[in-house]
Amino acid sequence: MDLPAGTRNYSYADDMTIFRTRTQKLMLVGLFIMLLAIPLWMNRTWLGLVNLMGITIIAATGLNILTGYCGQLSIGHAGFIAVGAYTSAVLTSRLEMPFLVGLLGGGVLAGLVGVIFGIPSLRVKGFYLAISTIAAFFIIIWVITHWDSVTGGFMGMSVPLASIGPIVFKSEESQFFLIMGITVLCIFFAKNLARTRVGRAFVAIRDNDLAAEVMGINLFRYKLTAFFIGCFMAGIAGSLRAHYTGFLSYEFFTLTDSILFIGIIIIGGLGTTLGPILGVVFIKLLDHLLTHWLVPLIEGKHILPAGFASGITPMVFGLAIILFLILEPRGIAHRWQLFKASYRLWPFSY
Amino acid sequence: MAELLQYVITGITVGLVYSLIALGFVLVWKSTGVANLALGQIVLLSSWITYTMLVRAGLPLWLGFVVVIIFGVFLGWVVERLILRPLIAQPILSLITVTLGLAYFIQGIVVFFWPISVAALPRLFPIEPVRIGPAVVSQQYLWAAIISLALFALLSLFFRYSRMGIAMRATADDQRAVQACGIPVTRIFSRSWMFACVLAAVGGVLMSSIGGVTYGLVETGLKSFSVVILGGLDSFLGAIIGGPIIGLAENLGDGYLSRLIAWQGIKEIIPFVIIIIVMFIRPYGLFGEERIERI
Repeated sequence: MDLPAGTRNYSYADDMTIFRTRTQKLMLVGLFIMLLAIPLWMNRTWLGLVNLMGITIIAATGLNILTGYCGQLSIGHAGFIAVGAYTSAVLTSRLEMPFLVGLLGGGVLAGLVGVIFGIPSLRVKGFYLAISTIAAFFIIIWVITHWDSVTGGFMGMSVPLASIGPIVFKSEESQFFLIMGITVLCIFFAKNLARTRVGRAFVAIRDNDLAAEVMGINLFRYKLTAFFIGCFMAGIAGSLRAHYTGFLSYEFFTLTDSILFIGIIIIGGLGTTLGPILGVVFIKLLDHLLTHWLVPLIEGKHILPAGFASGITPMVFGLAIILFLILEPRGIAHRWQLFKASYRLWPFSY
Repeated sequence: MAELLQYVITGITVGLVYSLIALGFVLVWKSTGVANLALGQIVLLSSWITYTMLVRAGLPLWLGFVVVIIFGVFLGWVVERLILRPLIAQPILSLITVTLGLAYFIQGIVVFFWPISVAALPRLFPIEPVRIGPAVVSQQYLWAAIISLALFALLSLFFRYSRMGIAMRATADDQRAVQACGIPVTRIFSRSWMFACVLAAVGGVLMSSIGGVTYGLVETGLKSFSVVILGGLDSFLGAIIGGPIIGLAENLGDGYLSRLIAWQGIKEIIPFVIIIIVMFIRPYGLFGEERIERI
């Protein structure tokens, strides 16, 4: 289905390649050129939106590895993002370390915190894990708001701009290149992880953990690895977010955000590389559409009470999650596959 | 001494309300196998409905409550019929995330219709404090506890003697056998959701009569998760006993721990710390069925 007419796989290596045909490679090059050209023609509002999308894609990719590939549900993702954000902020502003140290430090610490809260996953799954990650989220946020001397508590803290050597990422355009670079790296990593031994072990654990263990997969190691990788990416996203905004407050990291991350990977498509990207683009565009277009439209007519606006987005997002689960549980990525197949085969449907 | 007694009484009485909400969760989990993570939001929504009925519409107390109960039944029916039934026999991941979507949706509804975000209910119970020995306790807490206990009694009678109650227990035990006996399982699912929503509504009214209608009610719902985790996910007894334990831990911790180590607001996370501890030591809870399978 995935291959164009006349191309067949003759070996497992063929089957596993990412770029099977030259067209695919050319299209990827084309995509990169388009990505690099984005700052040339987009205005600042949209560029800012794209930057936020990039950061969210990194976090969602991490959650997708944890939930989509390994099957470990985490509703505390915003908490792990907060760990990365605050670690990076503290390292760069209070200890005056370079940005790259903050970035990696944020990622590693978020990963380690994720591993600690992931330990219960060895004995419990499903709902229990969901609850313990919710608990993890509340504990993390509580520590952040009450450890005043380090995190600034309820007041928040300011964060210096990102810089690598002499380059300071100050303008929206330079931020774009930094964020997009790391996003592409993360997606590439996720894509490759899925076809390694580790990735296959994750999928085996997701599909049937008992069978996976019988086949010799060390559940302890692989589940915690999944937690580490997923939360590491959350930490990276958090660090980028902190240096992008220049200011940190515990209010940036809410439980509803965690729920939205789950929604994003479900809407996009669980267990696919494309899923988180499509999910983030869908949700962010929907958000933009609602807040910048629909709300002013309704507000002008004075039908609804003032202040209703902040209720519309959660309503629509919640509805989107529910509808996708009922109508298309495999997400937009699956639809995209179907579209590609039918496009390739048109006008013959087989 | 008076202080200790006060903490204990407040803890137990608030804990009983947690138990009430948690019972709704256990009911749905046992009979339908769905983990209802939207519980906190349902509590919040029904409290706002109560507020609208009593303050905005100015209904008399008894009529307002009848309307709220009917609303709970209706909400349970709608949720089960429109959202959960299409997902029967789907993987557990979908069942959990769909309730998360529901939680998100209800949160949006609440912000949409009640942007004021904080409100007080009219006084439901006399506020004169009562003296129990050396302790002085607000009457509202005692009334909340009494109503919770009365509902426990009613529910246990229902599950013991009513046809529907027995059918619900049977469904919790073995869905396939129940279906073979000619009991409509989907109707039982629907009833369980109605019960859960009504219990959440009553819990919400009791909590908001004490502390007003705020977003804190969502956390009350979340705290009842720690009750079910502590008591065991599939145990009614566990939910009833777990509630007061969580309430006690919360209030004693707030009273003594925060003074001891100068951590303000430790009360908020004690239930969550308990969740993590239970997960590490005894994931199936105090009274839950211990599964041998290693997962």
